[in-house]
Amino acid sequence: MIRKIRLVALPLTLIALLVLTACGPAGQIPVSGEAPEKIIIGNPIALSGPNAPAAALSQVPSYDLWVDDVNAAGGIYVKEFDKKIPVEILRYDDTSDVGTAVQLTEKLIVEDKVDFILPPWGTASNFAIAPVVSEHTMPTLGCTVSSKQLAAEAEKYPSFFGVLNQAPAQGAALVAVAQELGVKTAAVIHHNDLHGIEFAGDVLPQLSAGGVDVVLYKTFPAGATDLSQLLREVQAANVDALIAFSYPPETFLMTGQLREIGFNPKMFYATVGVAFPVFRDAIAAGGAAEGVMGAGTWNPQVKAEGAQGYFDRHVAKTEAEPDRWASAACYASGQILQQAIESAGTLDPAAVQQAIAAGEFNTIIGTVKFENQFNTTYPGNIGQWQNGEFLIIDPGENRQADPIYPKPEWPAP
Amino acid sequence: MIQNLLDILITGLILGGIYALIAVGLTLQYGVGRVLNVSHGEFILVGALSTYTLYVGFGISPLAAIVVITPVLFVIGYILDRMLFNYLRKTSVNADAFSGRSLLASFGLVFVLQNLMLLIWDANLKGYTYLNTSVSIFGALYGLNRLLALGVAVGVSVVFYIFIKSTRLGKAIRSAAEDPLIAQVMAVNVKQVLAICFGLGAAMAGLAGILYSMMFELQPGKGIELTIIAIVVVVFGGLGSISGSLIGGFVLGLVTSIVNFIDPSLSLVAFYLIFILLLLFKPSGILGRQIHAD
Amino acid sequence: MLISTIFNKRKFTLSMILLSIALLAVVPRFLPPYVIISLITVLMYIILTLSWTMFSGSTNYISLATAALFGVGVYTSAVLSGSFPLIVIVVISGVLSFILALLVGSLTLRLKGVYFILFTFGVTALIRNVIQWWETHITLTVGRHVSSPGNDTVYTYMVIIYALTLIFIFLLQNSSYGMALQGIGENEDAAEHIGIDVTRLKVVTFALSAIFMGAAGAVMATRWRYIDPTIAFNPLLSFLPVLMAIFGGTSMLGGPILGAVIFTLLQEYLITEYPYLYMLLMGLTLVIVILYLPGGLLVLVMRLYIRLMIQWAKTRFQWQMLKTRWREEWRPKVSMELAQRRLRLQWRLGRKRR
Repeated sequence: MIRKIRLVALPLTLIALLVLTACGPAGQIPVSGEAPEKIIIGNPIALSGPNAPAAALSQVPSYDLWVDDVNAAGGIYVKEFDKKIPVEILRYDDTSDVGTAVQLTEKLIVEDKVDFILPPWGTASNFAIAPVVSEHTMPTLGCTVSSKQLAAEAEKYPSFFGVLNQAPAQGAALVAVAQELGVKTAAVIHHNDLHGIEFAGDVLPQLSAGGVDVVLYKTFPAGATDLSQLLREVQAANVDALIAFSYPPETFLMTGQLREIGFNPKMFYATVGVAFPVFRDAIAAGGAAEGVMGAGTWNPQVKAEGAQGYFDRHVAKTEAEPDRWASAACYASGQILQQAIESAGTLDPAAVQQAIAAGEFNTIIGTVKFENQFNTTYPGNIGQWQNGEFLIIDPGENRQADPIYPKPEWPAP
Repeated sequence: MIQNLLDILITGLILGGIYALIAVGLTLQYGVGRVLNVSHGEFILVGALSTYTLYVGFGISPLAAIVVITPVLFVIGYILDRMLFNYLRKTSVNADAFSGRSLLASFGLVFVLQNLMLLIWDANLKGYTYLNTSVSIFGALYGLNRLLALGVAVGVSVVFYIFIKSTRLGKAIRSAAEDPLIAQVMAVNVKQVLAICFGLGAAMAGLAGILYSMMFELQPGKGIELTIIAIVVVVFGGLGSISGSLIGGFVLGLVTSIVNFIDPSLSLVAFYLIFILLLLFKPSGILGRQIHAD
Repeated sequence: MLISTIFNKRKFTLSMILLSIALLAVVPRFLPPYVIISLITVLMYIILTLSWTMFSGSTNYISLATAALFGVGVYTSAVLSGSFPLIVIVVISGVLSFILALLVGSLTLRLKGVYFILFTFGVTALIRNVIQWWETHITLTVGRHVSSPGNDTVYTYMVIIYALTLIFIFLLQNSSYGMALQGIGENEDAAEHIGIDVTRLKVVTFALSAIFMGAAGAVMATRWRYIDPTIAFNPLLSFLPVLMAIFGGTSMLGGPILGAVIFTLLQEYLITEYPYLYMLLMGLTLVIVILYLPGGLLVLVMRLYIRLMIQWAKTRFQWQMLKTRWREEWRPKVSMELAQRRLRLQWRLGRKRR
């Protein structure tokens, strides 16, 4: 008899284990009317894999800093319960894999029953979770996503909002600056990925229309180990401006190799990576960053409430500066979420989503207002390192300093 | 025109030197120990990240770091082989089973090492510049750190060649690679020799990492990419031949260089195309030495 | 007592297969919604691991082309998304993967051992880079968006593909083709001498296994929703099925399934509980299993199962013995006893009447 039980017990236990691990613990289900102890925000993000460095720089510390700041003030005030509720982040590693990001987002919403979602890093992952969060009406503010495609299809994903400035505005600023400086000839190079293609699609026609002759246009594979030949070609073409649409590893490689081959273009612009503190301190150490332009832009000097304070607290907490582009947008996402909750007076995601879509928010990147779910203004779209700070050189009222042109010579190593 | 050709040639050689350097450790591990160590790239990164810490944290120059890092990695590799791969050798029924199991075990090592790297050094991008003065060769400028990598690659290969040909340990290694059974009969401590080879392979990976860190920025996830380059070069040169890896590296470097000149976006396509063409038509590699009678 | 008298491998396997399909089709709909989401990923890995085992398990040619064959399905789905109903896309993907595998298979006729492994790996990388180049320069669009028909539909598709893969393998293994494949795995030259058309069998099996990979890819694209060449042809998807198959054990059909299930669930569990340590734990688990369980987890499970079966058989045997003894020894005794006692009682009672 006992043996019979043993026979059945094992498979039953295995099946039970299987089901239990799949089910997992139920999240907080607040009894209606009773305030939850904490606002749990789910955050599936790359803690390992190729996206991890960028997430570790721009997104994770800013999110965590925001949580610290909110909790230091007692929490977010929710009118429905008439009290301040502290915030906590529930973070999972999506291993830089889009499929995992989607699944973890669903797990957070469906199983862990989080109250809100902070998105993962990068255009691909954000693109992938946009339909998911919209299916569940979970408002999500993307701060490291740059995609014309997504912006164009935004109405299909009503719960997804873009906080970061997008390629069209950055491209326009770049071209405007080039024109202003009297750039006559340019070389445009970019990597084989969506980012590069979108920028090129925007910028190339604008450059030609603006009277800048694009003498050389070539692409290279993402993650290339040697760009020296391409750069020598650019050098031989003796252009005024070198414009590159690239990711940090390629931007850094390019900078190093430009110095090696002894080519100092009068204008050097690369999209991603230039705005990182590590660019100024390590890659282009010794003042080599001076005069290099890049996509961006935010810095502690912008005329937005709390900008300098955020910078100081970031340095104090992580012993590293925030980057000069997306970090602030990610902190601002938290601020927007908080203000939306306060204005909606409830933790109901649908109501908060409406508040985000309709509202105007006061953040460290200035006043944020969403049009077709994407933020319309940003402190700057193009920046240049001048005297150790990445200053906004957009033409117009946002300009903090006139661009330096031509770029100073690379300092001796 | 001549200038262009010279550029392509020299850039190709430099790139080839980097490739060969990345591969030389794996050649030793596979050629003698028959372990296709997919965690090779992780060892390179460990060397690179350690150099970064020593230089940025303690001001020890990367060249001096060689003296510190290579022995440490040698010891780690030696212990790993004695504890892990030796056990697999003992308990595998045949050579195929061993190669499969050791491949998977090294895959497990990839996970372990990557996680350890993330824990010790965080995920942030790290980099530093060192020795990026430019040297003029035939009228064009090249980075000193890259030329150094080329020099080290050639130097290491030459040293190894002499080492394997003339010293007693070298002969022991050769015999263990050819036929472990007979080698054992000839009083060669095969277990020790294999472990030494694996350790040397790890040390070479560390050396490659040191030089790598001078030229590229570092992130813990890059290991697999490096391993792939190493595998392609090793196959190119003929699995297990060190001089073959050097020549294979150069050939690949030159091909990449030429393609970069024509259309840089095709360089990776060309890289893998050459790889599979080689496998189809001359799997024994450029030098044609077939170690394993498959 | 022979194990084979209490354990018919074929019947057992078939009943397990049908049971698993039935359970998967019915049960999760009554469980919390996340179970289905989790199971979709598990099923994907099961299908990949099973398809991989179909060819590589018996012939011992370790293929790393899984990512390419799966990726073709993913990418086809991404390109055709919206233009055709999903079922059509799935079928087309299966066919395209079949064709690709046929091509790759015929090319690699002459390669063996580690060269075959490296070739399949190289082909995958080449395809990825070619498509990336093509998208960058010719179609000028790198990321593609795929709409999802809903998790329930995706789950249904995956269960169907799982069922087809499983039944196909079962039929294959129990047919003469399966035996021939085993023969190739054990000694290819000998197999050729017996008269087996080794070449054709290898290529055809490889190509057939690709159908399921491609079909699964087409379905998973709707889950991932954003597809680009790096995502579709992720090299990890070539390595993981190999790991899972060996982790689970390749000697029985249940091995790859077990490996895929445990690996995937373990990974999910570790990622959510130990986000900063899970790679370390996975790696250590892998190394330990490789070291001490060369036959995979299957060995453990089968040992346990056989022990249980023996216990069950012993119990049944003892029960039979008890019954026989009862029938032949005790019951006659007891009934005789009772009859005697009744007689004595009656006689005592009947004494008065006698």
